[in-house]
Amino acid sequence: MSARRRAGLTHRPQFRFACLAGPGAVFIVVALLLPLLSIVVFSFWRTQSYELYADWNLNNYRSLLSEPAYRIFFLRSLATAALVSLVCLAFGWPVSYFIAKHGGRYRLLLVLLLAAPFFTGVILRVTALQGLFGPIGLVNMALAVFGIGPVGVLMYTPFAAGLGLVYLFIPFMVTAIYLSLVNFNFELLEVAKINGARPWRAFVEITWPLNWIGTAIGLVLVFIPCLASAVTQRFLGGPQATSFGMSIGQQFGETGTWALGSAMGVFLFLASLVVILVVRRTIDLKRSGFTGALGA
Amino acid sequence: MRGAQPRGAVIAMGALLIGLYVFLYAPIFYVIYTSFAADIVWPFPPAFSVSSYVDLFDSSLYGEALSNSLVLGLGSALLSTVLATGGAIGVLRYRSRWRGLALLLFLAPLFVADLLIGISTLAFNARVLDLPGNMYSAIAANAIPGTAFAFLIILSQLVRYDWAMDDAAMVFGAGPLRCFLEITLPIIWPCLFGAFLISFILAFNNLEISFYNLGAIPTLPSVAWGSLRFGLGPELFAMAALVNFIVFAIFAVMYVLMRYRIVQFGYRG
Repeated sequence: MSARRRAGLTHRPQFRFACLAGPGAVFIVVALLLPLLSIVVFSFWRTQSYELYADWNLNNYRSLLSEPAYRIFFLRSLATAALVSLVCLAFGWPVSYFIAKHGGRYRLLLVLLLAAPFFTGVILRVTALQGLFGPIGLVNMALAVFGIGPVGVLMYTPFAAGLGLVYLFIPFMVTAIYLSLVNFNFELLEVAKINGARPWRAFVEITWPLNWIGTAIGLVLVFIPCLASAVTQRFLGGPQATSFGMSIGQQFGETGTWALGSAMGVFLFLASLVVILVVRRTIDLKRSGFTGALGA
Repeated sequence: MRGAQPRGAVIAMGALLIGLYVFLYAPIFYVIYTSFAADIVWPFPPAFSVSSYVDLFDSSLYGEALSNSLVLGLGSALLSTVLATGGAIGVLRYRSRWRGLALLLFLAPLFVADLLIGISTLAFNARVLDLPGNMYSAIAANAIPGTAFAFLIILSQLVRYDWAMDDAAMVFGAGPLRCFLEITLPIIWPCLFGAFLISFILAFNNLEISFYNLGAIPTLPSVAWGSLRFGLGPELFAMAALVNFIVFAIFAVMYVLMRYRIVQFGYRG
């Protein structure tokens, strides 16, 4: 190949695109998609005394669908994830809006302050929540000072687990909406005001639809980990909160039934996929205001 | 810009933000408070002692766990940021028929729970590649969601970047690398820093992915997990408190830099 031809090749947008995005794309395929494919394969295999055997069968899926306990765990995780996502949405929106619009030069700091609790591990933070809400925790001790008995709903209940999940995942929601709002042109609201729209109407017709992609990403970012969550329920939820994720962890840990665990993982993945596709249907790229920049 | 909403709404939103900070930091302060308590199981009423810090520095396990967590976090953040920067610039700047696919691949990890990444990489490493738990697998596995988050952050910040500046530099003879280092990087570094920081935080304290990939190598979260059987060690509270002191110090420095406009961190306006 002559030097001129090579120069021509390196100047081609296709070549540059491949050099820039290629490594990451290959990494995702190798590190994420191949392992996912391997658990799809294992889900049709059989485990016996901690070893995987490649005789193809559907027994894992059969026991997954017929065992009522798994169904209860899954439905419980599904309901928890949906509720937690909605609570995060309701509280996340006004907070992100405030940071994006009124945060001024401290915007980045305000957002990073939401991420800083992640420097303390999940287990320690959940234990600390337990310490705050538990029977001998700060909240109940404080209430006892005022002569109010311990609040039972905060101790080892599904509600406490839900509160713990909101605690862990609301920063994701706020960050996703914030990232959308910093690209939102707030002058559009001035235009709406000049044309006589009241603030609420301007929000419903302009701000909300133009930031729906960020909001949808936020919903997915909260929903997916909540659907799979195990640690929070284990510490805060008590006996009534055993989740699907806890059950999967058990298959790969204590019981060593990897094939059944793989089948449960595949089921979890498919459930997440359904949710993502439903959310994807609500996204209208033409109305999002994102295509202008991406198509440029 | 102001005045599009009534004042009351702004104050209510600000109050909600403060309420969220209180909610988020109450357990953190609880951890710091407990690290100084004489008895971590019954921390009230207060009785102070520094014995957990003495134990922390006497034990070698926690230092090892911290350094492993740091290596894991830095390695994974570096990998994530480099891959995501390339991906975001490629997707935004060049028209290609593979652009949609690249976008989907880079965002795909956001739609897979940590637990699933953990168990699937464990199954793949152990049964297909026949690898025992090791640091490299853990760095790579943690970089999966890290890349997606970094990509999302960089993409959303670069959407408004004006690539004509780079084209101008190229016209005057700058190569792609020089152009990136002298034109693009000085402008976009705050968002790369943000992406690096977020992917570092996610990997540093990750439990579910690291747990399945590290085998017997201790990190801070896995030590916490392991010590649960006997109740959390007071050293863990002391360690978390120290990490938080460093984080608060960094934030205080950032605040001063922003307050006196020494570094703008990408804010223009």
